Amino acid sequence: MNRTRMTSGESLTVLEVQARWPSWMPRLAFSPQSSSLAGDLLVVVFLRGAADTLNMVVPHGEDAYYSLRPSLGVPRPDDSRSSKGKRALDLDGFFGLHPAMESLLPVWQDGELAIVHACGAPDESRSHFKAMELMERGAENERGPASGWLGRHLASLENGNTSPLRAVGLGELAPRSLYGPVPVATLRSISDYHLQGSPQQLKLFQASLEAMYSGPNRDAVIGRETLALLQKLQNMEAQGYLPRLEAAYPESEFGMGLKQVAALAKADLGLEAAALDLGGWDTHFAQGSVDGLMPRLMQDLAQGLSAFYSDLTDLRDRLSIVVMTEFGRRAYENASLGTDHGHGALMLLLGGGVNGGRVHGRWPGMEREQLFGPGDLAVTTDYRDVLGEVCLKRLNNPNLAAVFPGYSVKVGEILKPR
Amino acid sequence: MSSSRQLTRRDFLRLSALTAAGAVLSGCAPAYNWLAEQAEEAVRFDLPPGGTPFDFQLLNRLTFGPRAEERWRMAEIGWQAWVEEQLSPEGIDDPVCDLRLRGLNTLTMGANDLYDLSDKLFDDQDRLRVPDELRQSALIRQVYSRRQLFERMVEFWSDHFNISVEKSNCFYLKTVDDREVIRKHALGNFGELLSASAHSPAMLTYLDNQANHKDAPNENYARELLELHSLGVDGGYSQQDVMELARCLTGWTIKEHFWRGDFVFKQENHDDGSKFVLGRLIQPGGQSEMEDILDELAVHPSSARFIAAKLARRFIADNPPPEVVESAAKTFISSKGDIKTVLRVLLLDHAGAMQPKYKRPVDFVVSALRMLEARSDGGLDLHTFLGRMGQRYFSWPTPDGYPDRADAWQGNLLPRWQFALALMQNEIPGTSVQGEFMGSEGLPDLRTSVRELSTRLLGAPLANTDQLADDLSSAGAVNDVEHRRTIAAGLLASDAFQYR
Repeated sequence: MNRTRMTSGESLTVLEVQARWPSWMPRLAFSPQSSSLAGDLLVVVFLRGAADTLNMVVPHGEDAYYSLRPSLGVPRPDDSRSSKGKRALDLDGFFGLHPAMESLLPVWQDGELAIVHACGAPDESRSHFKAMELMERGAENERGPASGWLGRHLASLENGNTSPLRAVGLGELAPRSLYGPVPVATLRSISDYHLQGSPQQLKLFQASLEAMYSGPNRDAVIGRETLALLQKLQNMEAQGYLPRLEAAYPESEFGMGLKQVAALAKADLGLEAAALDLGGWDTHFAQGSVDGLMPRLMQDLAQGLSAFYSDLTDLRDRLSIVVMTEFGRRAYENASLGTDHGHGALMLLLGGGVNGGRVHGRWPGMEREQLFGPGDLAVTTDYRDVLGEVCLKRLNNPNLAAVFPGYSVKVGEILKPR
Repeated sequence: MSSSRQLTRRDFLRLSALTAAGAVLSGCAPAYNWLAEQAEEAVRFDLPPGGTPFDFQLLNRLTFGPRAEERWRMAEIGWQAWVEEQLSPEGIDDPVCDLRLRGLNTLTMGANDLYDLSDKLFDDQDRLRVPDELRQSALIRQVYSRRQLFERMVEFWSDHFNISVEKSNCFYLKTVDDREVIRKHALGNFGELLSASAHSPAMLTYLDNQANHKDAPNENYARELLELHSLGVDGGYSQQDVMELARCLTGWTIKEHFWRGDFVFKQENHDDGSKFVLGRLIQPGGQSEMEDILDELAVHPSSARFIAAKLARRFIADNPPPEVVESAAKTFISSKGDIKTVLRVLLLDHAGAMQPKYKRPVDFVVSALRMLEARSDGGLDLHTFLGRMGQRYFSWPTPDGYPDRADAWQGNLLPRWQFALALMQNEIPGTSVQGEFMGSEGLPDLRTSVRELSTRLLGAPLANTDQLADDLSSAGAVNDVEHRRTIAAGLLASDAFQYR
């Protein structure tokens, strides 16, 4: 670490600082408007804790599903023993959406929601931490690159965008997928972005920061990004943000996070990638079938996504949303009315460029001999094939070898080219 | 400064008298805090002359940010002796910390009483008291305890055996775990610590083992016990081992009626078939099956390597040299998991390999409070700031504990800046920085003041301190206490202060 103030040519005298007061902060050339950026705005939602995706998109045409899950199984769409709001919502005669996710049904019907079932990673550790880490790094094993796949995508895409808001992680910590040479802004809420004090205090404080964060090292870059962001968001906050009337965001942390992303997207600040987490999916215990713990999470997920999608309806043709989780859960329920760690999961994709209204991927089946390892859904689509297709077709990044080094992406038919 | 004792004899007598006065007061937090403030009058805040960068870095690594008192002590007895002194915390008296903790009555209560207390009322307020007091105690101890290395190890094991108070009954059970598992064994034997954790109702609740039943085992705790608590993810176990271990753990649960919240082994929930774990046949033996496996895990070479690597990452560098890890692992094996012995080797033989570590939010906040000799009741507002930085105590949801790598924390500077300003403006209720630490008297000019403040906060004046002082004075800074407060806020917000 360099404890000294940087003495490179970048260092400013206070007179120079004062000359630009109060708009001295953004020393970065601001990006061209996002509408001229080459690719879609990508929003990645990570469901942490391994979501039980078999109860999210239910294989109601599969008898084994019901024999393995006598208590947790979600009733068939035509199961007259269950009341109407307590059955799977049929999608294609074989799969059905969990009733708590009904708010996404219109997006499916519009052909802008695609599902890739039995999707996941080759890792068999069934460890949350190893699986999440490898997946966010987009790495085959520990020896892969330390950076994240999304960070490498941004770094390998030369589009001249230097906005401090190019990549945003919602929350307190930057998600691993965004690690890389492109600085990531972490923010919880736009309204948090201000400093309090008298004008004189703020002036001295900011002059100190300007002097301290003037070097070429990573920390100095992050400091300058933070200052620039402060200026941008303070201006934005003054104008306030009103979502479209029909966008009913849930009053949850996830809903609020999506709303911040929508505000940034509409403000045209050069946002290219945003990553959000929705946690709490590690349902070993009493997860609930049509009501309870996991259905509440699914409701939050679905309502958040559908509000966000209708809020950004004008941008839908250059918006791609990806929902993923580290692995799925065991095909059979455990004695505590929950499910243990499994293997195959699924991915959801939303956007104008999605070949939606379809469940993609080969269904491996749930009969005993079709299950994998201790009784898990097999993986028939590697998650990197899906993300790679997004990079190639929607983010205009043909350099897939840089994003997923050592892996040869098999491009499918999940998305339309721009 | 001629004397380099931590406390003069007169100060010590005064503190003893205050501690005795504290003993006759009944659970009245404001009174104890007042007494503590009287005691803190004895705090020394002048800095020793000299002091090497190595000393400062070592202190910064082994404490939560060195107080003037600790800088004097190391200068007096040398760094090796200082480390040895810290490795025997029972020999270090701790009056101010004790006074600050006195009002927190739930810290000493058993599970059953904590449950009763939490059950008396039905509003959320009551569910918050126990975890709030625990959080407050953690902060107070890190800020005030003179047993700093011990508190560092408490923090280390709290991460290693992470439990979030947000999960069901952990909100009151964690208080017992903190006292009987983490603090009791923090510098003891790893095997005893691992075993205490496996019997901890908070851990069994947090990782769902209280519901692990012979009819269909719940694998959650079994997996994390191998992956995160002992062998490590590459420690040489299989999915089959996890499933078999989960069978051994069936029946390890928690009392629900009499002595609610205590550990109990329920034979009727236990799978009494034979099992095969880590290449060994386990004959049916009830509770003893798992007790034997815990003994085996505690001294397993994979556990030794895993714990050694984590300790080296915490105390030496984000990416510690392999030979440092190897040396600590060897010591772990030869000492049968004696934590003090491993630390002694790591710190005395390998301190030279230390690389700068990025401060996690707790490091940042506590080091600011300590290095400025702030007074604090450890109250809720500080925890709100910590939450915005991403490290509210005992709230990390997943069992891997708060991350210990720079890149996890580097992107979130703004809440740190906001804290720096609020602290220096004395706007955080219950916490204050006294004017005299801004050098109110006898500092002739701004350059001297900036030099003095950087020495206090960064170990030595920055190379371009004078330039910074001149820049600030061109921006309108004058050499008075108010402006020095803002300058100190700027130094707390600097990139240099984010490292230790």
